[in-house]
Amino acid sequence: MEGVLAACGELGFREASVRAILERSGGHRAQFYQHFESKEDCFAQAYAVWIERLSVSLLEAAATVQGWEAGVREAIVRLFQFVTARPAIARALFVEVQIAGEPALARHDAVIERLAAAIDSARAEIEPAEAPPEATGTFVVGGVESCVCEALSAGDPDRLWDALPELMHFAAGSYYGKEEAEGAFERASIVLARERERLTGAEEGAEG
Amino acid sequence: MTELRLIGGTALAEPAPVELEAATPLRLPPGRHGIPADLVRAHQRLRLLDAAATALAEQGYGRITAARVTELAGVSSRTFYQHFEDLWACLLAAYESEAARLCEEIEAVCAASVEEPGPIVEADRRDRARAGIAAALGFLAAEPNVARLLSAEPPPQIAALSAARRDLVERLGTLLRGVLADPDGPTPLPGLERRLIGAGLAMVASRAADGDPRRLHELEPELTELLLTSL
Repeated sequence: MEGVLAACGELGFREASVRAILERSGGHRAQFYQHFESKEDCFAQAYAVWIERLSVSLLEAAATVQGWEAGVREAIVRLFQFVTARPAIARALFVEVQIAGEPALARHDAVIERLAAAIDSARAEIEPAEAPPEATGTFVVGGVESCVCEALSAGDPDRLWDALPELMHFAAGSYYGKEEAEGAFERASIVLARERERLTGAEEGAEG
Repeated sequence: MTELRLIGGTALAEPAPVELEAATPLRLPPGRHGIPADLVRAHQRLRLLDAAATALAEQGYGRITAARVTELAGVSSRTFYQHFEDLWACLLAAYESEAARLCEEIEAVCAASVEEPGPIVEADRRDRARAGIAAALGFLAAEPNVARLLSAEPPPQIAALSAARRDLVERLGTLLRGVLADPDGPTPLPGLERRLIGAGLAMVASRAADGDPRRLHELEPELTELLLTSL
């Protein structure tokens, strides 16, 4: 299952042949067609497994801390860790899924809705008169996703980390307005500095 | 798509001008008709650009082929390759031409709403931004195939097409900032508009994929509020 995502992430969905998939996953052509109707079908099945794993992991990350803002930030940090650790798989999950068409896209939309519903818990802390539009959750998840797509399409996943404060400004601002957004930006900048230290520490540790 | 008018020359059998509304490009009569060759070419090109958007809405980036674009445009494969090197060159031309139209539309609406005399205050800026966003969504809702073309993520391997989409996000972000910017206020966060536009386009993409233009219309009030809240 990982083979199809690796092949599509590296070569692109259009260019990834069944042969290229089998080179990465092992097995024979005949076996492939016993399990899957087509490349689209194989991609959709692998996508469903991996995106489920990733979204559960993001929701778990959010649940390890107190409060909405910290939860969203932890989930984005976890997402960035995944993208930088597995860029080829991430390219398949975030960029190539847009190319692969149905039925992977239907699954994609369902996952976006689930994450949007989780982010929408912010609403509980807002007065009904000040309530943001219904689509705010989808909007925020779409913004995070488009940021990841941009970095992966540009072939530069490490650059993603720079976007953390800006994304938190965007997420908090969409629900709570400008002032809260500025606070979220500052707090995310501190977390970013901490993550950077951890990353360089890990690199030095690996070298030494 | 762009309007093309063919004005009949003396060689035409009918002395009256021939007008072609290119919204649904028609085929020109085959054979000898005396229409100047460069007009025929321009018309073929428009049909191909229109067909590229239709084929993309039909097949998505995963399955779209030059053959389908050619078929929808009603031209020969040879004609296709006289105009474009390959499928991607055709999609890029379609993308750039529609992106330019969208931005011109927004610019025209925003410029029209500042002609009243007096100093520009916060409320005016917000009204202008609202008018611009409504114009953009109206434009996209009227042409769902174009909405799909402009909003869908293209394959990253096709660098020119990815760059064209990034340029559009950048340009829309600059428009949004330009309309809202308060010359005396603090400098807004660089890159925030890009996030907002990216999120907006993702919503347009998901609704355009449904193929129901009403869903794009419904987006307008919410998206306007979302784009303006954090700026």
